[in-house]
Amino acid sequence: MGVIGYGLGVIGAGLAIGLAAYGCAGAMARQPEIQNRAFTVFIMGAAFAEALALIGFVVALVVQ
Amino acid sequence: MDAFAQLPDEINHLVSEFHSIPFVGDLMMGMTQYSFWLCASAILLLVIMFAFKSKLALVPHGLFANVMEWGIEFVQNDVGKQIIGKNWKKHFPFLATLFFFILCNNVVGVIPGMKPGSGTISTTAALAVVAFVYFIACGVRAHGPIGYLKSLAPEGVGFPLNILIWVIEVISTLLRPITLAVRLFCNMFAGHIVMGSFAIMVTLFVQPLLQQVTASNILAALPGVLFAFILLVIYAIEIFVAFVQAYVFTILTAVYIQEAEEVEE
Repeated sequence: MGVIGYGLGVIGAGLAIGLAAYGCAGAMARQPEIQNRAFTVFIMGAAFAEALALIGFVVALVVQ
Repeated sequence: MDAFAQLPDEINHLVSEFHSIPFVGDLMMGMTQYSFWLCASAILLLVIMFAFKSKLALVPHGLFANVMEWGIEFVQNDVGKQIIGKNWKKHFPFLATLFFFILCNNVVGVIPGMKPGSGTISTTAALAVVAFVYFIACGVRAHGPIGYLKSLAPEGVGFPLNILIWVIEVISTLLRPITLAVRLFCNMFAGHIVMGSFAIMVTLFVQPLLQQVTASNILAALPGVLFAFILLVIYAIEIFVAFVQAYVFTILTAVYIQEAEEVEE
C-alpha cells in the first residue's frame, strides 16, 4: 500500500519538475543572457518540488 | 521469482541500519555512526582548508588550489553577489561555511562504507536552526525587533488584510527551518536507501551463481547485470545530488537573509 501511495504522490512532483524545466528552457532560449539566474531559480523550484516527493518516500518507508 | 520474495525483508533490514545506533554510550550522550562520520568529515574539511590556506597565492598553481578557488568563487558570485547583493561580504563567511560543511558531509556519505553526517534529521535540524537564528538576527539588526516584525507584512495593504498576511508570513517563516532540515535529510536518506535497494537486488540475483555455476543460474543472474547498471547511474546521480543539496541549502539561506535585510523604499 505504501508503495502505491508513494507512486501517486510522485506524479505531482514529476509534473512540477517537468514544468520548472520547461519554463527554464523556454526562458533560456528567449534570453540567453539570463542563463545563470534562470538556472538558479530552476534549481530552487526543482528542490522545492523534489522535497515533497522525498517526504512521501521517507514517510512510506518509515511509517509502516 | 524467489529473489523478489526475499526483497521486503532485506529492505526492512536495510532501513533499520539507517537508524541512529550508538556504538559508544547511549542516544543522549554518546556517539552514533552518524556523529562519527560528521566529526570525520569536519576534520577532513579542516585539513583541506588548512592545506589550501598554506597554498594561497595571487596566481593559484596546481589542480588543488584551482579547484578550491573555483568552489569559493562559486559561493561568492552565484550565492553572495547574485542573491544578497551589495552587502554580501558580511554574510560570505557564514554561507561558505554552510556550503562546504554540507558538501563535505554529503560527499563523504557517497563513498561506499561511510555514512553521510547529514543523513540523520538531528544534524540537518541543527544546521537549519543555525540558519534560522542567523537570518532572524540579520533582520533584527537591520530593522530593530519591532521593525522586523512589521517588515514581515508588505506595506500598502489595507487594514484588515495586512494582519491576515502578517499571520501567514509568520507561519511561513516558522516553517522555513523545518523545510530546510527535512529537504536535506530526505534527499540524503532516500538516495542512500535507493542505492542500497539496487545493491540488494544485484546480490539477490547473483547469489545463486556464486554458490553453484550452472547454466540456469547464469541465466537467472542476467537481470542482476541490468540492476548493477542502474545502480551505477543512481550512484552518479547521488554525487550530483550531494552538490545540489549543499547548493540549495546555501542559496535558500541566502534568499532568507536577503529577504530579512531588505529595506523597502
